[in-house]
Amino acid sequence: MSRSLKQVAVLLVALLCLDPHGRVGSAPICAHGPSGCHVPSLADLFDRVIQHSARMHSLSNDLHSEFEQYFLPSKNHIGKIYRKCHTSNILTPNGKENAQKLAREELTEVILKLLLAWRDPLFQLHQSMAHQQDFNSFSSNKALEMGDMAHELRKGVEKVAEKMRVLGMLGNFVTGLSEPETMLPISDSGEAMSDYELLYCFRRDSNKVQNYLKILKCRIVPEHDC
Amino acid sequence: MRNSWAVLSLTFIANLISQAAGVSPPGKPRLTSCRSPEKETFTCWWEPGDDGGLPTTYALYYRLEHSETVNECPDYRTAGENSCFFNKNDTSLWVNYNITVVATNALGKNISDPVEVDVVYIVQPKSPENVTAVVVHEDQGPFVKVLWEKPRTADTRSGWITLLYQLRVKQEKDKEWVEYDAGRQKYYNVFSLHPGKYMVQVRCKPDHGFWSEWTKTTYIKMPDYLPKERSLWIMITIFSVFIVLILIWMLNMKRNSVKLCLLPPVPGPKIKGFDKQLLKSGKSEEIFNSLVIQGFPPTTDYDDLLVEYLEVYDNEQQELVLDGKDLSEDCIKSKSPSDCDSGRGSCDSRTLLLEKCIEGREGSGSDQHQYSQHGETSWASTESSESQGPEPSSPESVDGRVKTWPIVCSSPEPQPYHHYQAGSAKPAYHSVPEILSHLSPHATASNYHQLHHQDIPPQEVLFSKPACSHSQSYNQFNLDGSDTPAHGVPPSRFLGYVEVQRVNPENMLLLRPLSDPNSELEGSDCTGEDYSKVKEVTSNNILFLQRETSHQCVDNYSPDLDSQADQCTSQQPPHPCKPAVHQSYSPMPEEGMRVMGNGYVDSTVLMPSY
Repeated sequence: MSRSLKQVAVLLVALLCLDPHGRVGSAPICAHGPSGCHVPSLADLFDRVIQHSARMHSLSNDLHSEFEQYFLPSKNHIGKIYRKCHTSNILTPNGKENAQKLAREELTEVILKLLLAWRDPLFQLHQSMAHQQDFNSFSSNKALEMGDMAHELRKGVEKVAEKMRVLGMLGNFVTGLSEPETMLPISDSGEAMSDYELLYCFRRDSNKVQNYLKILKCRIVPEHDC
Repeated sequence: MRNSWAVLSLTFIANLISQAAGVSPPGKPRLTSCRSPEKETFTCWWEPGDDGGLPTTYALYYRLEHSETVNECPDYRTAGENSCFFNKNDTSLWVNYNITVVATNALGKNISDPVEVDVVYIVQPKSPENVTAVVVHEDQGPFVKVLWEKPRTADTRSGWITLLYQLRVKQEKDKEWVEYDAGRQKYYNVFSLHPGKYMVQVRCKPDHGFWSEWTKTTYIKMPDYLPKERSLWIMITIFSVFIVLILIWMLNMKRNSVKLCLLPPVPGPKIKGFDKQLLKSGKSEEIFNSLVIQGFPPTTDYDDLLVEYLEVYDNEQQELVLDGKDLSEDCIKSKSPSDCDSGRGSCDSRTLLLEKCIEGREGSGSDQHQYSQHGETSWASTESSESQGPEPSSPESVDGRVKTWPIVCSSPEPQPYHHYQAGSAKPAYHSVPEILSHLSPHATASNYHQLHHQDIPPQEVLFSKPACSHSQSYNQFNLDGSDTPAHGVPPSRFLGYVEVQRVNPENMLLLRPLSDPNSELEGSDCTGEDYSKVKEVTSNNILFLQRETSHQCVDNYSPDLDSQADQCTSQQPPHPCKPAVHQSYSPMPEEGMRVMGNGYVDSTVLMPSY
């Protein structure tokens, strides 16, 4: 008798949890119109996003140089073979013209893909750094912050894309990419990448993201600082 | 085999020859730096090694990341000597370049160390251009506005590069530059420059990359101007006024102490007097207690004093070797600043002095003032009047009543002294007038007591009998003591009362007898009832007063004292001796008790000693 009651209770709780309507959602503050609420413009959104990406990149830069300083003394890694980053199969423009040739939607998509591809690896990085005794807590905190920032940045870019779509700037735009989620940072050889390699790859990718965002901004809202 | 042998020998010889000639394979070249000015192209420079004396060629090879293809540098010229320029087509961002330089000459080649380069991280833009500086005149004063432009090649418009600017300024004579960060803007206002010639330079940097070179110096002349630093002067003025006000206020607060500092007051004599606080508190016991000097009178010398005292006869020309000064001093000093004359006795009481001497109370000191009522000051007070508190009101002798010397004190007969001696130790303490009386007829050489008579008829001065003349003989009393010359006192016996005529500056009381016809005798009360004569003092500090019959005052002089005393003791006084206010009044000899006009009997003597 008690067992059945327990099972029922568990089922109920599960239903409640799984039910999306049972979850607490956040409603936007300015849902009821612009009365006393400052809705950020696209330019503001872009500025915020770019600042965010700049911060993310500087963090990755710091972590990478720390790594190089303490763990890899030789600057010129003779014979060092860099394994491919797991994001190398994402086609990214490698120059200014190439980047300018891309359409806005594609550029946005590339950005989002990149950010999404790094969600799990960054979490992994933080975990492995936290477990290793070599790093001080400062570094592992940076890694954690970096991962959070990547996540936030992705959300921000999605909002920008949404805004652009609302404004009619974007055409065929597919949001909610799901395939990169399954992408795991497994190199060709199948081994997991080391922390240093992850940092190296992420430093590069964050730079890419920052650059693409700036190009996008100056293409879409060229009034400020362009 | 022979061929190889020949080849070997030939090379060997060639080497020897080349070594002798000083040629060798080239040294190792070194890649110094690779830079990209706009993140679209880049250039690498190398440093050639030793060329070995032979013309050496250099070649740069690069290999892209994850590619096995080795490419050679596309452009050796654009960037100048020993450089390799990669144009846009050959530049890929976010890709590692593995670059090496190979030096080749006739004898061999040498390969430099490889360098990994990612173009994104080697960006160093060109310097800003068109730096202009102008002086802008404004109300607050002129300042310098510096303007510049971005380097031509940097593409900030598309957002590909973000440049941050920095400028620095210095005067020609200064050693160091002052740097200012301008951020992303292309102008800057420099304030607070002194008049003179200034040099301005600007440089820029991408958000991740290297600083550019400084631009060429731009000169700007700052004009001379009078800095209208009015606000500064105003502030200074206000501040100083404020400080002055504060100083004045402080001085005002402390003006008393300032006055004290500048004009210190003359210190007064420090004699402990009445404690005003005690007075205010109203506890009479405490007040009186505080007046008592412990250990005073000195009890040790009593016997000596007594002995001394007893040796003096006022009828005889004997010097009084007396430490009477002590006595008198003590007598005098046993004064109080104020006279609590509560029932103690008026100044008319002739027993007053004696009693004071006996008791040694300070409270009675005021009476000593009274003895010189007619002088400017009292002899007693010459010494200490200033230090004392409110001068006790002079006993009312305005009516001309003279004070009486206590008969006891002035008794010339030895017998009364014996009485005293027989009595308590106290009576050994003789009052001043007693001493005086003893001194009077003598030209005493005593240090302390001097008797100066002026206008005193050559009579023996005796204070023994309180004649109804009410005149008291005052002895001139030299209070200062030590060096008083021994005045010659006419060995006359003046048996009347003298009054103090004045006190001369040497603290001498000038006396004149009141019995003179010239004397001012006011309100003489010849009843002879003013005074009480102390007959004796018992052991328990009881004064026996002798009432004397009031006949002629003159008659009561000393020659009869003895008899009188005897009469008092022996006989039943014709007039009953009035009982003392404070009991223990023995039966009076007939001529004994002398009652005051108002029936006042000095009863102070009968007050319990402390």
